[in-house]
Amino acid sequence: MSEMKPSISTGKKFSAVWIIPLVALVIGLSMGIYTFMTQGPTITLDFETAEGLQEGKTKVRLLNVDIGIVESVALKEDMSGVTAVVKLDPAGRPLLREDTRFWVVRARVGAGGVSGLSTIVAGTYIEIAPGTGPLGQREFVGLEEPPQTPLDAPGVRLTLLSSQVGSLSVGESVVFRGYNVGRIESMEFDQEQRQVRYGIFVDAPFHKLINSNTRFWDASGISLSASAEGFEVDIGSMDTLLLGGVAFGAPPGLPSGSPIENGREYHLYESYNDILKNPYAYGVNYVVSFYQSVRGLESGAPVEYRGIPIGRVERILVEELAKQGLAAGSSTVGQAIPVLIYLEPGRLKIPDNQESIDRFKLAIKEGVPKGLRATLMTGNLLTGKQLVSVDFFPEEEPAELGVFEQYAVIPTIETGVGRLENQVSSFLEKLNSLPLEETVTGVNKVLDSADSSLASLTSTLDSVNGLIDSDDSRRLSSELVATLGELRSALTGLSPDSKMYQSLGASVNSLNGTLESLDALIRKLSVKPSSLLFPASPEMDPIPEARP
Amino acid sequence: MSESHATATSHGLASCHLCLKLVDDQQHHCPRCGAAVHLRKADSMQRTLALLITASILYIPANLLPIMITDQLGNPTESTIIGGVLLLIDMGSIAIAAVIFIASVMVPSGKLLAMYYLCWSVHYAPPGTVNQRTVIYRITEFIGKWSMIDVFVVAVLVALIHIDNILVIRPGAATIAFASVVIVSMVAAESFDPRMMWDKVEESDE
Repeated sequence: MSEMKPSISTGKKFSAVWIIPLVALVIGLSMGIYTFMTQGPTITLDFETAEGLQEGKTKVRLLNVDIGIVESVALKEDMSGVTAVVKLDPAGRPLLREDTRFWVVRARVGAGGVSGLSTIVAGTYIEIAPGTGPLGQREFVGLEEPPQTPLDAPGVRLTLLSSQVGSLSVGESVVFRGYNVGRIESMEFDQEQRQVRYGIFVDAPFHKLINSNTRFWDASGISLSASAEGFEVDIGSMDTLLLGGVAFGAPPGLPSGSPIENGREYHLYESYNDILKNPYAYGVNYVVSFYQSVRGLESGAPVEYRGIPIGRVERILVEELAKQGLAAGSSTVGQAIPVLIYLEPGRLKIPDNQESIDRFKLAIKEGVPKGLRATLMTGNLLTGKQLVSVDFFPEEEPAELGVFEQYAVIPTIETGVGRLENQVSSFLEKLNSLPLEETVTGVNKVLDSADSSLASLTSTLDSVNGLIDSDDSRRLSSELVATLGELRSALTGLSPDSKMYQSLGASVNSLNGTLESLDALIRKLSVKPSSLLFPASPEMDPIPEARP
Repeated sequence: MSESHATATSHGLASCHLCLKLVDDQQHHCPRCGAAVHLRKADSMQRTLALLITASILYIPANLLPIMITDQLGNPTESTIIGGVLLLIDMGSIAIAAVIFIASVMVPSGKLLAMYYLCWSVHYAPPGTVNQRTVIYRITEFIGKWSMIDVFVVAVLVALIHIDNILVIRPGAATIAFASVVIVSMVAAESFDPRMMWDKVEESDE
């Protein structure tokens, strides 16, 4: 029976059941390896404060998709802030670039609106704005304020330069004809240039509205200005009045320029009127020096050519003048005041480009020897503002362009009151230089000789007197009386009652009759000269003709 | 159990696994129900060990992965078993924490350890401990069905709490792993043939 006994296995044989733990092990290991392989990067973020950051809870989000979590928050060693260690999903690896930005999203109330309301109930989170720089950054400094626009948003990022902060601040809008097309992203003061740099962003597709000829101006607040042209008050729309903003557009009549790229710098004008005054991109600087008072001549005052504005006064070069004086070692007292002017050929409706500038400079250079001069004129009697006028004065002596520092100098003449003063003073100078004393001495001499002449005249008269008083003179006069009596009797013979006068009258009468008959003959001869030879035939009466 | 007594095996009989009829161990099939006849459960030790190892492997993700995901206002929080217990202790619910800890940590791990011990004891333990081991086996078999409490809690919560966008509870991957641990360890306990322990004692007695 024992040989019939079935073999009883006691576990020596390898059972197929071992496949089950093997499979479990393989699955477990592969999961482990997969998890290890797909482990996301760990990064550190520095913040000023840990407000709202919770270990193991605060998420890192991109477009509201969780891509990581704050693992720990710790104070920095020097207590100057906090460092958050963030574990990112593997998908977050390509986001970690040098210029990637992180910030904590909290509920914020600002001029531009209210944001992050959902974080009040759901808790804060860290938002990430992917950068475009090189990969591999692991340590970041978080932003305290959310950036206005993501780095890769379509549009264009520009810089505006202004000498004044005005009423603009970060977050305010950039408008085009009142329509909101972008915003101010940043504002910083450039110490070296001493001007404010605004970073603005204009959303696509509106960035196509901007070209090289576009001008930007501060469209907020109220501007009040007095210039050579009078007083001006400018008030923007209520919206920009309350919130402020930057507007842009092209000055009227200016062709659109070339397309622009990111990062271009523009000047921020103070007002739209400022742009109307300065709508041209190309211009050239000149210096005009005045020996008269430049009181009332301000930066921005117009420069006119026969009344047409061609530029503006930039500033009075007092510093340069003082510097030159110091360098020359002499005092600057009595020197002409140099004034920097900026001329824009574009204002004369010629193309606004470099070529026109060159031609314009040539025209100025050739014009000066022909009498082109700058003068100072009073623009507004009420405000007393002055302006610079450029015109031709052919009677002036020929001159050449001068040089002051790096600028060409247009020669000047004085006009208006100044010119009048000069003319009067030059007249007085001429009067002064006349040889009056010599003349007076001469006259004195003449008077002296006249004196002696008078004395001799007196003696002559005395001798004449004696002569008259003599007997001869008395006899002469009685003879004269007798002669006059004879002359009278002679004249009596010629009186109208005399015979001679009557015969003369009759002769004249007969001559008169002769002349009258002669007159008739002459008239006849003048009508018909042939009547002297041929007898005159009587003239026929005119016979009227019957009309058909 | 020191006294020797007659067993079915010594009489050349084997018990049918299915209907428990005593059959002649020369027979391959039970004459009553037709099931295969083995003197002891086939490959008992290997199967038990294999399933125990499987359960042990599954026990790792069951504890590391989140068992429950609480989605509060779109702000999901994942919690593991231990994390949940610690959270409950933090909140002061020591009793609930204890229940969860016992049901989810102590019971499964204790069961696995007990089974390992039983397997080891079949060949190496001193014969005198066979009574205690029998008690251990009974306890193990009994508590096996109660160790699903954790999965059960999650299932109830997921079903009950589902307020869209405000509070949503979702099961984590550890739920599956944990359920697998429980099931696999139950099967392991089932495939263990306790008669092997007594066989050894009887062998040494002979």
